[in-house]
Amino acid sequence: MIEVDVKQKVLAANATAAATLRARFEASGTLVVNLISSPGSGKTTLLERTAAALKDSLRLGALEGDIATERDAERLRRMGIPARQILTGGSCHLDARLVDRALAAEGRALAALDILFIENVGNLICPTSYDLGEDFKVVLLSVTEGEDKPFKYPAIFSKAAVTVVTKMDLLPYVPFDLTAAREQVRSLNPAGQLVEVSAATGAGMETWLGLLTQKLAAKRVKTRAGVASA
Amino acid sequence: MHEMGLAIEIRRLAREAVADRGPGRIEIVRIAVGELSAVEPDLLEFAWEAAVAGTEDAASKLEVDFRPARQTCRVCGEIAGRAPGSWLRLCPRCGDALTVSGGDDLDVLRVVFEETVPAGGARS
Repeated sequence: MIEVDVKQKVLAANATAAATLRARFEASGTLVVNLISSPGSGKTTLLERTAAALKDSLRLGALEGDIATERDAERLRRMGIPARQILTGGSCHLDARLVDRALAAEGRALAALDILFIENVGNLICPTSYDLGEDFKVVLLSVTEGEDKPFKYPAIFSKAAVTVVTKMDLLPYVPFDLTAAREQVRSLNPAGQLVEVSAATGAGMETWLGLLTQKLAAKRVKTRAGVASA
Repeated sequence: MHEMGLAIEIRRLAREAVADRGPGRIEIVRIAVGELSAVEPDLLEFAWEAAVAGTEDAASKLEVDFRPARQTCRVCGEIAGRAPGSWLRLCPRCGDALTVSGGDDLDVLRVVFEETVPAGGARS
């Protein structure tokens, strides 16, 4: 009987693929946002509104992760931005190799973007574990889901740099304790940013768009510094 | 349910670690699973049984070393005695904001391997 010390990350292979992607995004100065939430919390709708607001001033693109249907990619293409669907078959999350393959298959349309949105499979658990080479994760929480979700799904709420509370226009009609939701997010993720939006009315969208453009500007400074030191 | 994919990856890493030991079977794989790793240890042990079924490692056991996250108050220090899966919004002593650290482990720690003599091999 022999004992062998291993001390290796279970997801080391994914981490290697993600590091390659990250270096590539670094070189092209592309800000990459990994959006994670339950199904139906408004990821695609938020991206539709984001595309409408920013597509004339920035080069945007999207990868849409789903188990089935091309529907989400079609919705974003209709908004005038390049989008490619990644169908996982039955798998509950995207991984770095799937992202790499999708980008290679799409070629030029998704190269040299200002912002690439990766909309993960609707699921608050599994996508949390897989680095996709993104700059940051965004978790969405719609007011119809209930304010207890951060403590129920602590992994994603502690890891996402940004929490977006969506469907804020429905707040008067649902028993959602906004203060409790804010406190839970802050407790799990004191350094994270919290944005409250309604894609339907446009309320809060300025804050969300401002956050994106500010993160893009920070990334460009970093990319330029990288080029200068290379 | 990404535990099945993880179980397959854990077996791959375990096999890689003992690759130069010749034929044999894995007896135990010890892994660390953090409270914030988005992995359910029971599901992972169940997935492990499926991942090794019908292989030379079919009798092996996946041992999970659970690593809790820590909630800490700036003033009062770490909150002791918090049950896994229960989170505090604010420090129960002073009401101050808390921070969370640790608990995101998902590592293969150790493999216990039993070498076997190949059939028709070194029996002298």
